[in-house]
Amino acid sequence: MAFNQTSYNNLTPAAALDKKTLNKMVWRSLNLQGSFNYERMQANGWLYGILPGLLAIHGEDTDDLKISMSHNLEFFNTHPFLVTFVMGIVLSLEQQKADINTIRAVRVAAMGPLGGIGDAIFWFTLVPIAAGIGSNMAIQGSIAGPIVFLLLFNIVQFAVRFFLMHWSYKLGTSAIEALTSNAKEFTRAASLLGVFVVGALTSNYGGTTIAPVLENGQTVQSILDGVLPKMIPMALTLGMYFLMKKKGWTPVKCIAALLVLGLVGALIGIF
Amino acid sequence: MGFSAIQIILVFVWVFIIAIDQFDFLESLYQPIVSGAVIGAILGDLPTGLVVGGTYQLMTIGNMPVGGAQPPNAVIGGVMAVVFAIGSKMDVNAAMGLAVPFAVLGQYMVTLLFTVMSPMMSVADKMAEKGDHKGIVRLNWLAMGALGLLFAIVCTIGLVGGSAMGEALTALFDKAPWIMTGLGAAGGMMRFVGFAVLLRIMLSNEHWGIYFAGFTLATIIGYIPALSGSALLLVAFVGIALALNDFQTNVAIRNAGANGNGGDDDGI
Repeated sequence: MAFNQTSYNNLTPAAALDKKTLNKMVWRSLNLQGSFNYERMQANGWLYGILPGLLAIHGEDTDDLKISMSHNLEFFNTHPFLVTFVMGIVLSLEQQKADINTIRAVRVAAMGPLGGIGDAIFWFTLVPIAAGIGSNMAIQGSIAGPIVFLLLFNIVQFAVRFFLMHWSYKLGTSAIEALTSNAKEFTRAASLLGVFVVGALTSNYGGTTIAPVLENGQTVQSILDGVLPKMIPMALTLGMYFLMKKKGWTPVKCIAALLVLGLVGALIGIF
Repeated sequence: MGFSAIQIILVFVWVFIIAIDQFDFLESLYQPIVSGAVIGAILGDLPTGLVVGGTYQLMTIGNMPVGGAQPPNAVIGGVMAVVFAIGSKMDVNAAMGLAVPFAVLGQYMVTLLFTVMSPMMSVADKMAEKGDHKGIVRLNWLAMGALGLLFAIVCTIGLVGGSAMGEALTALFDKAPWIMTGLGAAGGMMRFVGFAVLLRIMLSNEHWGIYFAGFTLATIIGYIPALSGSALLLVAFVGIALALNDFQTNVAIRNAGANGNGGDDDGI
């Protein structure tokens, strides 16, 4: 990567983002998963969503914009309906030209925990209720069924998206003022939280298991789990880390290697 | 069956939209209850569309895309169930059975696209380094269009070719089952590259213990079924406590140092 800077060139805080820009990003947040992929998940959709804000803050064609776009393309995954919470808080940090490590750490720390909350609100509560009511009406032949479902679901969805964006942007802005006097300590603590969350993600998002069964009927996976559960996700993460850090592998090379590993592994029955 | 050209085009357009909608847009148009009614209306039998859509919806309520997992694809499944129920005048359950191979095909399409889009991220990296924000926007829309197109083509094949087509297509994939298994396994592993990139940047040598602590806590909570849904939230609380403590301690140390600098701190 070309940019190894840890702070922006222009450290003067940009003008606060206006309501119009914040609302524009709420609309863009709908397409967060547009370029979803297995490596960075929502990263490109995330950057797509916050671009109006980044352009307003850093200006077009500036080195700071390039730096900001580059670090905002790193792995990103959160609950699609709650993403504006992360957007608001990250943009308040960008606007104040916080240290890049701080922005990254806050982004990683905020995105992880939202998944469980969003699933609980939307998939376990709202959809069963709205779709349950709507389906029964539809099965009885009423066109109101799908309409009731769409209204219930989308009123809640948009209320949540707009509220979180404006609320978290304000929250972030007011918090930063208190933290600028202790910036160095804050960055350190935020990085600590970020690393802690990446450790948790390694286990929580890591579902890779292997298939081989021994002659006595015992699976190799159960033996591995007896030694250390989630051993494979951790070994792969650390393996990729060392390949990139010590051997200078690029992420693309790592992906290609994993693709070969997956296909060959499936062919000979490892997966 | 015999559908008119206009009906086929309308189904193509609608499937194109809801295929994208399953991950973007309103993330609710794709639900069988809505899309069943629309497909029913296009094919000239709204009541059947409502009944099949509603029935399929109730079936999928317990089967949500929770935590990023890919359930059998309800988008194609719902559409094709309505198509068969109307086109072949069969009952709801038989139509849903015939739709299954198409739902499986839909899942394959998603796996393929998510795999292909992974190396595209290095293209996005280059755009970011050049500040090419329009390129990022274009890439996002392009991927959405590709997903819509794949789904629309599969559904149109089913609409024109009938249910036999679905079985023929899945049989084609089943000839080499290791390819989809392999892509699925590789897809599940690619996120570790994303984690490794974050670690390479964020991890200082003094924080290695913190990484393993986060891993351990998430593993323990993840293995308790009642808590696995809220695992990351619980982990975050502990993480925040650690970070706050670190922050306050270091601020206190610095302030103590700053006060000491005023006097003869070396001697005392």
